Amino acid sequence: MTAAVHISGLQKSYNGTEALKGVDLSIGEGAFYALLGPNGAGKTTTINILTGLVIKNGGTTEVFGKDTVRDYRFTRAQIGTAAQELPSDWFFPIEKLLYFQAGYFGISSQNAKPRVDELIERLGLTEKKDSRLRQLSGGMKRRFQLAKALIHDPKILILDEPTAGVDVELRHELWDYFRELHKAGKTILLTTHYIEEAEMLCENVSIIHEGKIIKEGSPKELTQSLGKAGITIRFTGWNDKLEPKLSNYSYTHEDGRLHFTVQDSEKSLPEIIAILAGESCHIQSVKTEQSSLEDVFLSLTGKGIHDEESQ
Amino acid sequence: MNWVGFWTLTKREVGRFFSVYRQTVIPGLISSGLYIMIFGFTLERRIREIAIDGEAVPYTLFILPGLAMMNTITNSTANTSSSMLQMKLLQQLPDILTSPLSSLEVSVAYIIGGTMRGFVNGILVVALGVFLIDLPIHNIPLTIMFVFMVSWAFASLGLLLGQLAESWDNLAMLQNFFLTPLSFLGGIFYSIHMLPEWAQSLSFINPIYYMINGMRYTILGVSDSSPELSFFMAALMTGLFTLAAVLLMKSGKKIKQ
Repeated sequence: MTAAVHISGLQKSYNGTEALKGVDLSIGEGAFYALLGPNGAGKTTTINILTGLVIKNGGTTEVFGKDTVRDYRFTRAQIGTAAQELPSDWFFPIEKLLYFQAGYFGISSQNAKPRVDELIERLGLTEKKDSRLRQLSGGMKRRFQLAKALIHDPKILILDEPTAGVDVELRHELWDYFRELHKAGKTILLTTHYIEEAEMLCENVSIIHEGKIIKEGSPKELTQSLGKAGITIRFTGWNDKLEPKLSNYSYTHEDGRLHFTVQDSEKSLPEIIAILAGESCHIQSVKTEQSSLEDVFLSLTGKGIHDEESQ
Repeated sequence: MNWVGFWTLTKREVGRFFSVYRQTVIPGLISSGLYIMIFGFTLERRIREIAIDGEAVPYTLFILPGLAMMNTITNSTANTSSSMLQMKLLQQLPDILTSPLSSLEVSVAYIIGGTMRGFVNGILVVALGVFLIDLPIHNIPLTIMFVFMVSWAFASLGLLLGQLAESWDNLAMLQNFFLTPLSFLGGIFYSIHMLPEWAQSLSFINPIYYMINGMRYTILGVSDSSPELSFFMAALMTGLFTLAAVLLMKSGKKIKQ
């Protein structure tokens, strides 16, 4: 099956500084995929090359098997992009801007009307549809960005930091809408440096760092294979037979408290409980901790995802 | 060809300047009216007629074609250059560049927007001349064609400059240091024969001199330069500026990273 997005050996330099050092990426149709990395890692450059805003220095970028440079009319029609940068406009009401956007994609005003009306209503822009962009708040502009990206009903939706700078309520509202769009069959490529956003929404994540993809997998796979889990059990009834039975685990024991360090707590916990129960131990409490994608990111890159922003 | 996309962008570009006609149409008309009143009516007491091509032309009639041309050139250049720079600075350009529109379609849509503004402004000044000073028009179809051609040429130049510019300062510099002086030195208010020989030679390398005199010919039937040369220069600039603007757009050098 042809991938919705296929990127191979993508390279880009700005004034001699390598921004992308051979990015490889493949996103299946219908996937909810995140490109995760700190500011300056190469996320926006990658998607801008895909949409035609940045000229690449090397590598290939394909959308549904078609080259994004040679077959740009086809590939661009498949993609809707909600850019990170919020636009402004002094001349036209936002409803008119949506009609323009539909027009650029070859949809006449008459054919665009139902879609414009639907998106304006769904994204809560009805009261503001006659306002100019510069009169909208940041949150409203984010909603408008999304409406604009969806106006031509693209198969692939690119969300570049879609919840940057929005309040918690709107963030959850947008997350719900993203899930709805994904359920409806859209392929979604999300770039974010909010790890919980990627963890909660996406099936697959690529971690990009200094212009290279350094790890790819589902959030669960990544946290299980690269993260650590902790299990703390309070109990009574310790006996010497337990020591050999628990020899496969890394653990510490003191004062009726066992602390295990494991890869996957979901897999290890029932096994450990079975061993303790088999030796007639009385379990008082169980506490588990699984490392997050943020911990994985930290272990892979040696720094937190927000470190570069605060510098 | 993405006809709907092309038509949409063209409509947007034309609608953009019409939506702020107080800034884009009325000022040119007012300043031209003031030029006619101040330069024309007052100076005409001193300079009643200007001899051109062996004919004596009343001074107010003499300056009108140049005023129309200056208005055309200024407005057509300003429309495309400011629209392009504004789209770059306000993050609107990505909407166009990520859509399935070709560089040629985008360029021509912008140029048509600028051409319309230049054309409307030029023709309105001519109409003002007809209304205020009974301006006779030697050849109406040729006047319309010439205004259109010059508007297209300078709209293309504006598009080229809008792509190259990175700030409003860059554009203001172009307007203040090049276009306005070249327009004034192109013979709006005087005949080239009134200048010393060395200044006449300098005028020949000023492209706007040919635009003003081409316009003067289509309206008054007389001009300093030959009408054929004026039309040739206008056609040459139309071709060169259009090609340069489209090629720069296609390369993406100043609008894509």
